[in-house]
Amino acid sequence: MRGTSVRLGYDGIVQRPSKTLILAVALCVAIAGTFIFAFRAGRHARHLRWENEPIRPWMSVPFVAHTHHVPAAILFHAIGIEPQQHDRRPLRKIAREQHRPVEDVVRDLERALASAGHTHPALEPPRGKAP
Amino acid sequence: MREQILAALAQYGSPALFAVVAMASIGVPLPVTLLLIVTGSLVAQGVMPMWSAIALAGAGSVIGDQIGYAIGRWGGTALVSRFAGMLGGPARMARAEAHARRWGGPGVFLSRWLVTPLGSLINFTSGIAEYPWLHFLLWDVLGEALGAALYIVLGRIFSDRVLELDAALGDFSWMILALLAATVLGWVLWRYLRGKRS
Repeated sequence: MRGTSVRLGYDGIVQRPSKTLILAVALCVAIAGTFIFAFRAGRHARHLRWENEPIRPWMSVPFVAHTHHVPAAILFHAIGIEPQQHDRRPLRKIAREQHRPVEDVVRDLERALASAGHTHPALEPPRGKAP
Repeated sequence: MREQILAALAQYGSPALFAVVAMASIGVPLPVTLLLIVTGSLVAQGVMPMWSAIALAGAGSVIGDQIGYAIGRWGGTALVSRFAGMLGGPARMARAEAHARRWGGPGVFLSRWLVTPLGSLINFTSGIAEYPWLHFLLWDVLGEALGAALYIVLGRIFSDRVLELDAALGDFSWMILALLAATVLGWVLWRYLRGKRS
């Protein structure tokens, strides 16, 4: 294949891309990938400081309380459950037991977090401008 | 799948951690990095003790890696010799095996914690290349212990930002992989061009 042209198909000679070209293109893709992933990693790293963690159905109530720096009891009350220290049920399971969609449970928790933000300074949005 | 695994970890703790890391090390595509970071967060919340979490995650990974290696060694060799012609012939396969033996140790070590997407593939290829098992085990234990400790400690430090940390580490890992590919391709291209000139 080294820089040669090969007879292919039915109507003549088709120039195959040389090995140099293939390697050069692959190199460019790898370099571009390096920069793209570096940029994305940097962006996520910056968000580590600025953005609150979204609530996901796999999280337990104490887990959400920990990631948002509020007492778990506030969140348990918000979704109508008696606070228990060792209750590690995921939100999806709680929703199933309460016969309602998990999105409802998440919404109740978000509302509770928003109102708790007034009393818990850790929940207030960061001062200054996010990058 | 990802949701169920994380829910199992949040609810059942250590047994779920052990089972998932072992399965992922064999090659089942599971979100192990996120799992270890969430484990770190659970450590910070006082749900799991730090050292037992690291030991369990490390042990689960090493067991899974050994299974992957064994599959490559006793199942993969037959497969490769059957398709050796398609893969460049026996001479080329022998060269690839010699290469794997030479670079096997650092490759195994780095793929445990730095370029984790390659981990299960390297288990399999190390088995196929018949990289000495004791060497594989040594590098594997060192790498997995470092990997488990690194991600769990990071998860503990950023215990309130697990999803963002996972995204950052995932992209960082792919960046390293792309950089590695660029280095190798650059070297191959340079050697090829030099060979053509002379």
